[in-house]
Amino acid sequence: MTVIIAVLQAVLLVALAPLVSGIARKIRARMHSRTGASVLQDYYDLAKLWHRCEVREGPSGLVSRAMPAVYLGTMALLAAGLPLIMQACPVPLLGDIITILYLMALPRFLFSLASIDSGAAYPSIGGIRELLVGVLVEPSLMLVLFVMALAVGSTNVGVMAEAVGALSAYPAVAVVVAGVACAMACYIEMGKLPFDLAEAEQEIQEGPLAAYSGPSLAMLKLGVSVKQLVVASLFVAIFLPFGAAASLAPADLLLGLVTYLVKLAAVLLVAAVIENSVMRVRYKLLGRYTWFVVGIASLSLVFLVIGI
Amino acid sequence: MFGYPLVNVLGACLIITSMMVVLARAGRTAAWLYSLQSLVLVGVLASLGFVTGSGELFTWSATAFATKVVLVPAILLYALKKIGDDAQADLPPKLNPMKSVALVAVEVFVCFVAVSGIDLPTAAEVKPTLAVSLAHFFIGLTCIVTQRSIFKQIFGYCLMENGSHVSLALLAPEAPELVEIGVATDAIFAVIILAVLVVRMARYAHTLDADDLCELKG
Repeated sequence: MTVIIAVLQAVLLVALAPLVSGIARKIRARMHSRTGASVLQDYYDLAKLWHRCEVREGPSGLVSRAMPAVYLGTMALLAAGLPLIMQACPVPLLGDIITILYLMALPRFLFSLASIDSGAAYPSIGGIRELLVGVLVEPSLMLVLFVMALAVGSTNVGVMAEAVGALSAYPAVAVVVAGVACAMACYIEMGKLPFDLAEAEQEIQEGPLAAYSGPSLAMLKLGVSVKQLVVASLFVAIFLPFGAAASLAPADLLLGLVTYLVKLAAVLLVAAVIENSVMRVRYKLLGRYTWFVVGIASLSLVFLVIGI
Repeated sequence: MFGYPLVNVLGACLIITSMMVVLARAGRTAAWLYSLQSLVLVGVLASLGFVTGSGELFTWSATAFATKVVLVPAILLYALKKIGDDAQADLPPKLNPMKSVALVAVEVFVCFVAVSGIDLPTAAEVKPTLAVSLAHFFIGLTCIVTQRSIFKQIFGYCLMENGSHVSLALLAPEAPELVEIGVATDAIFAVIILAVLVVRMARYAHTLDADDLCELKG
C-alpha cells in the first residue's frame, strides 16, 4: 500500500511541476504588469520539445546522453521517498537524510560533469556556477538536517515529521531556528531569482541546458521544475507536517493530500513573491547570502547543544 | 512548558533579538529592535519571578520595562532625530553582517562551555540562560568592535548591560530593589551621556564614522 502511495507521489509531483512553473511565470508577469503566457505554457513547450529531433554537440559523450534521464529519475525518486501525504515515509529506505542528501548531490554532480563534457565554453561556466551554489548551500542544509536528526534521535525524515507534528521535538527553539535556516537553504536550492534562473541568460545561468535539444531538453526542463517542488516539499515535509495523514485510512490520506497541496501552494507563493521582488545577485557575492544561512544553521546547532 | 523551560526559551529569544539589533542596517530600526529585546528581558525577569516566587523580581521587571523598553530607546531615537541627515548614522559595519551571525553562534557556544563548569545551586536549572547572559557581553563587544558608526556602538553597550542584568537576576533573585535601581539608573545615565556625546560629535565633525573621528584625539 505504501509503495503505491510513493509511486503516486512521484507521478503527482512530476505531473504538477510544469503547472507550478507556469503559475510562477504568470505571477511574475502580473507583477511586471504584463499579461504573460498561459499557465499551461510549460506543458506545450515540453510537448513541442518531445517531438523535435535530438541534436548533440560533436565531442559530447555518454555523460551528456545519460544526464537528463538521471536528473529527472533522481528527482522522481526523491519525490517518492518524502513523507508528503502521510507523516511516516512511504518507503523508509528513501526517507533517510543521508540518502536524500546524496540523491540531491548526484544530479548536481552529473549536471556539472555534463557541462564540461559538452565541450563548449558557456555550458562549462554555467556548470561551475551550479557547483559553486551547491558548495555554498549544501553544508547549511546538511547542518540543519543533522540538528533535526539529533533533536529527534533518528535520521529518518518521517520520524522527524512525526516529532515536529506532535510538537515533541525537544529543544524547541533549536528546531524553530533550524526550520528558518532550512527554509532559506531550500529557497536557494530551488534556484530562484536572486541566485539563479533568469530566463534570458541560459548560456551562463543553467549551464548545460544550452547544449541540449529535443527530448533531452524536455526532460531537463521538467527535472528542474520537479526539483523546485521536491525541495519545497522537503521543507514542508519536515517542518510543516501538520495535517498529514497519521494512518492509512482513505479519509486521512485524502485530507493529507489536500493539506499538503495547500501548504505547498503557500510555500511556492511566498517563494514566487520573494523571487519577483529582488534583483539577481552577481555570483561573486553569493557567499554573502549563504554565510547568513550558515550562521543561522550553526546557531540552531548551538541551541541544540545548549538544550533550549 | 512553564517554569524553567520557559525562562530558557525566552533566553534563546534574547539571543535572536540581540542578533537582530546587531544586524539592523538603520539606527532607527536598531532602536526599535532594542526595545523589543528589552521586552523579552522583562519577560525573562517576570517568568523568573513566577518560578522562584521572588516578589523583588516583579518590581525589577516593572522598572526594567519603564527604563529599558521605553526610556532608553526613546533617548536613542531622540538623539537620532537631533543628529539629522548631515552625519550618516547608518554606516555599514566593518565585518560583513552575515558573518557576524556565525560569530554570535560561536560566542554562545564558548560561553556555554564556560558556564557548564560553574556549579551553583541557584543556576543549575537555568544554565542555558546563564550562558546566554554571559554571551551578551561578547555580543555587545562584537557590536562595538565591528560597527563603524558610533551611534550603533551604543547598542553594543546596551546589549552588555542587558546581559549583566539577566545574570544578576539569575544568580541573585532575592537581591533587594536597591541593586536594581543601581542597574537601571546606570543604564539610563550611561546612555544619556553617550547620546549627548554622539550628538555633539556629529555636530562638530559631521560624521559618525569611528575611523574618521581620530581628529578628536587630544
